[in-house]
Amino acid sequence: MKLEAKGLKKDYTRAGKSGSVFEAVKPLDFALKSGELVEITGRSGSGKSTLLSMMAGMLVPTGGSICIDDMDIYAMEEEERSKLRNGRIGLIPQGNTALLSLTVLENVMLPFVLYHKEPPPEDRAKELLMKVGLFDMKDERPNALSGGELRRMAVARALLMKPAVLLADEPTAGLDDANVELVMELLRSAADEGASVLLVTHENEARKYADRVFNMAGGRLCSN
Amino acid sequence: MLSLKNLPWRNLQGYAGRTAALVFFSMLMAAAIFGGSMIVSGVLRGLSEAEARLGADIVVTPVDANSSFDAQTVLLQAEPGYFYMDKGKLDEVAAVEGVEKATPQRYMASAKAGCCSARLQMIAFDPETDFVIGPWLKDSNLSEMGLMDVVIGSNVTVYNDNIIRFYDTECRIIGQFEPTGTTLDNCVYMNFETVNVLINASFEKRLNLYEKYSPEDVISSVMVRTASGYDTERVAADIRAKVGGVSVATAKNMVSGISDGLKRISRSITFTAGMLWLIGLFAVMLLFVMMIHERKREFASLSAMGADRKVISDIVGKEAMTVCLMGGAAGIFFSAAVLYSFGGFIGNYLGAGMVVPSTGTAFVLAGLALCSSLLAAKVAARAAVWYIFRTDVSLVLKEGE
Repeated sequence: MKLEAKGLKKDYTRAGKSGSVFEAVKPLDFALKSGELVEITGRSGSGKSTLLSMMAGMLVPTGGSICIDDMDIYAMEEEERSKLRNGRIGLIPQGNTALLSLTVLENVMLPFVLYHKEPPPEDRAKELLMKVGLFDMKDERPNALSGGELRRMAVARALLMKPAVLLADEPTAGLDDANVELVMELLRSAADEGASVLLVTHENEARKYADRVFNMAGGRLCSN
Repeated sequence: MLSLKNLPWRNLQGYAGRTAALVFFSMLMAAAIFGGSMIVSGVLRGLSEAEARLGADIVVTPVDANSSFDAQTVLLQAEPGYFYMDKGKLDEVAAVEGVEKATPQRYMASAKAGCCSARLQMIAFDPETDFVIGPWLKDSNLSEMGLMDVVIGSNVTVYNDNIIRFYDTECRIIGQFEPTGTTLDNCVYMNFETVNVLINASFEKRLNLYEKYSPEDVISSVMVRTASGYDTERVAADIRAKVGGVSVATAKNMVSGISDGLKRISRSITFTAGMLWLIGLFAVMLLFVMMIHERKREFASLSAMGADRKVISDIVGKEAMTVCLMGGAAGIFFSAAVLYSFGGFIGNYLGAGMVVPSTGTAFVLAGLALCSSLLAAKVAARAAVWYIFRTDVSLVLKEGE
């Protein structure tokens, strides 16, 4: 699956009387191919998370287009785009994204139940929890998990639906070295199995796993 | 097993404190709507029962009775009392043109003393001419009353088997009337022979204000039915003009006086119930939006997993619906329990007769109260969904990180 951005940009009108425009992402072209892991680095506020949100179909760009296999995702209805995200895009957002009323295992199975009436794939969820080292915590509530464990749970959840595109926003933030390796190896193996993987980070640990690395500064994307 | 269907309930369980507060305010709303409408309906039913039971077009009482007996409120608020006029007034009233039937009644009140079972109003009628109490007896399938036989109103409680005691004289209870929601429910009914025995017993105990009268020579009121083709107001005016020393009230005036009072009460109850509902709605909306605010990252995460607006709106809608229905059912149950247990006290407190509405009416009103809870759920859910999508979900995921 090919994910391609053409002339993509995002502007925000500043609050206040000036009404001036802030260019969070300046017009850029970018493509992500099947089986590759691409890393975008940059400081906080450089526009990398905004770019990732647009690529995930969660933030409508001001200009340009994003196509998955030549289908413009922003030409789709919101419902269709959401279903596409559910079935084909695994998104790992920043921070804690767990539902506190569910167990760790149920949180991992959650993407499946959104559009399926059949029983959720518990075995696959357990297998993923095993891979991220959280199997023993499967029946715990998220508030029993540390920040790093919650990140690993989010990685397992993003992989549940075997996505063709995996988008990760700071997936290793707050993790110790061993867990950084564990998560990066999971993302790498997802790419090796054919997924297109894009991760944005301001840390350097992921570099050795990436096929290509870009840097983002002031909303501009530059090849490293 | 986790499913989209049970996710709203799981979410509510996860925020038990907030859920309990939401259920409480929903309960308050439903209790206000159901309780308020039941009371208004009960008060109006009481009025219609009172009208049906009045049975006379004109009530004639002694003019000095006004100090202790207000004919216009006798059906709703009369305190036990008694007053007498010469029985010759009956013939004078009966002689007025347009009077088809005239029947006397004799009143007596039992004393707050050990000689009496309770302080109650006694109403005695003359079986020969009566057209007021007789039909009630017939409607209630009760036999004719003999000496020392009484029929009690629905609010009169008797602990000894079929015996009630006044001035140390025992009376046999032969039946009990259905509730009317008026003070008629607090009365004891008997014929003239029986009340005469009781009046004499009260004289012996020196517990009667009117020792100068002989009970056989006095009556308390004359109930009049107007002949067809005659204007009741006109006949009442004629009685006023031709019979001295009496106060004359028409049923129409009595009922309209009561009706005006009831309309005021109904308006107050409706206003209070409406205000409580609005306050409840505001509280439910506020609490619900607060709960959603607390969970806005959760909803943004659902969106990141691919939940579209409809899925999220459905989850929020079902959560709101569940708390409002739980609260609504609890509110209806609670107010029904209070109304069925303390309906009489509530009526007395409001100063109005009240008959708890029929089961059918109660079900209809309960259905309406539940609908009002569902309406509140819809409003709260709409506000919450608006709040969730007010901010770009991708920005919510970045907040605080």
